Amino acid sequence: MTVRRGPRPTVERLRRLLVMLPWLMERGEAPLDEMAQRFGLTEEQLVKDIELVSMCGLPPYLDELIDVWIDEGVVSTGIPRVFTKPLRLTAPEGFALLAAARVAMQLPGADGEGALARALEKLAAALGDVVVVEQPQAPATEDVTAAAADNARLRISYWSATDEAPSEREITPRRVFLDRGRWYVIADDHRSGEDRTFRIDRIESWERTGVVDEPRHVEAPDSEGWFEHADLPVVRLELLPAAGWVIERYPTRSIAQRGDFTEVELTVTDPSWLQELLLRLGPTARVLEPAQWQGLGAQAAAALLARYDTGGSDAN
Amino acid sequence: MADALERITNLVALLLETRAPLTLERIANELRGQYPSGDAALRGAFERDKAMLREIGVPIEHEVLSGADAGKTAYRIDRRRYELADLDLSADETHALQMAVAAARLSEGDMGLLKLGADGPVSTTVVANVPDDPMLPALREAAALRAEADFVYRGLRRTLQPYSVLLRDGAWYAIGHDLGHGTVRTYRVDRIEGAVTTGEPGAFERPVGFDVRAAFPADPKLLGDEPSQRAVVRIDVARARWVEARVGEQAVVQRHDDGAIDVEVPCANLDAFRSWLFGLGEHAEVVSPPEVRAAVVAWLREMAGAR
Repeated sequence: MTVRRGPRPTVERLRRLLVMLPWLMERGEAPLDEMAQRFGLTEEQLVKDIELVSMCGLPPYLDELIDVWIDEGVVSTGIPRVFTKPLRLTAPEGFALLAAARVAMQLPGADGEGALARALEKLAAALGDVVVVEQPQAPATEDVTAAAADNARLRISYWSATDEAPSEREITPRRVFLDRGRWYVIADDHRSGEDRTFRIDRIESWERTGVVDEPRHVEAPDSEGWFEHADLPVVRLELLPAAGWVIERYPTRSIAQRGDFTEVELTVTDPSWLQELLLRLGPTARVLEPAQWQGLGAQAAAALLARYDTGGSDAN
Repeated sequence: MADALERITNLVALLLETRAPLTLERIANELRGQYPSGDAALRGAFERDKAMLREIGVPIEHEVLSGADAGKTAYRIDRRRYELADLDLSADETHALQMAVAAARLSEGDMGLLKLGADGPVSTTVVANVPDDPMLPALREAAALRAEADFVYRGLRRTLQPYSVLLRDGAWYAIGHDLGHGTVRTYRVDRIEGAVTTGEPGAFERPVGFDVRAAFPADPKLLGDEPSQRAVVRIDVARARWVEARVGEQAVVQRHDDGAIDVEVPCANLDAFRSWLFGLGEHAEVVSPPEVRAAVVAWLREMAGAR
């Protein structure tokens, strides 16, 4: 939990108090520093809250007070009073716990009958079992995740929509993440010598090379921040309403409404990705900038048409 | 006057411990000197405190009195509703939940974990960016309590008896019986406009054996007016293995000498079908039926001509 400094809103202090007090009352005492860390407070903040609450209790506020004090870096409590049990879970807390547990059951390495499954069963029994998460894993996900944990170098064949054949390369997976329903891995790409993000469902084959690289920490990107690498080109698209799903599907750098049209800027990690996207969007999208990509969709369509026009199929 | 936190802590203590519900006059009297004097100022401060307590989930009961205090509202907190139900989690189960919350990064999970007695933060190698939406807790709770949910979607007011919330393809959906349409409907939660209001618990029965997956097909190519519509697509040798691994061996209707395969896939939803097809670039070609092939060719011609 992150510790924030500066003034804290009363509501946040109250939320924590109603959890901290029962926790302390159950134990009797706790070191100040450990308790502060556990509840995401600075020691000064915790001292302030404990001092305040020691003056609270029941009218006439003489003997029926909350029995807490701090002495020599230890927070102690006497007779448990009033706040003996934590406040029930709120709807957002209950949702977050259930959804996180359901999502985690679909992550690589999850044990369908282990501790998480048992915890989920108890949560669902208490809160109602109505959350369903469907998150299929691409075949390579489990092994790529294991390789990331071991810093193991993999040899993979990987393809993008317009490559003629999958490319062979060696990567050292660092971070596996799920975003908008798709699995990605950030890896050292030993072909380019750079960090690259790969879609795991496009890894066609993979094996360990036997090489183990030095551990290296790579931060997992959040939903908005990733793709925002300054050195990647940006495309500006004009979308008809029917193409609006693009905005939900991909991280956008900007969105502007122009009458019936929406203008979006997207980071392009790979021109072949843009080409594929334009094919899917067809007449519902147009490239505004940069100029060299304005004909990209038409070229891709013409290349595909050639296959149909030459009667590549014997069944038409 | 006392610190707001001191006053509100005392208010919770008072309402938890009282045997009979208390009127605002009684509350102000018991918390002497902690509320501002003057009716309007007292009422205003008390309403703000109540709103804050509601925000963090403290259930305050109120009832209108009869007898000597007839017509006055009295308040208390029912301890049974206030307290966390004991989930009886073992240490390893609590730890597993911590790992789950760390992986899914849903912000409210941390406070939930503290209530359940989990200790400090943990980190995970795998991270899932799960979309969070302020409507989700209310919809989940409505489904769990079988309460009707009212909201605006595409400009129209809907009343849904929610059966389930589903995360699929990175988006949350609410699924249930739509009273206006009289059928089972699916709504994308992030397209709900404004707020969700929920009705009384126990307002409907969830059908026995209701299956979200059957009610809302996972393959978008199946969503359409004619769910049985299918197409045969030729996949060349470069992608044949990859496609077969995904659509399954039973979908292969023909194998060619050059390594290409013909697969039969659903195409009830032409948009979804095109997305799948064009994701394969030049390695896939629609063989049949002729009207689907013609639609794809027309789509490409229109694009190619737009140079």
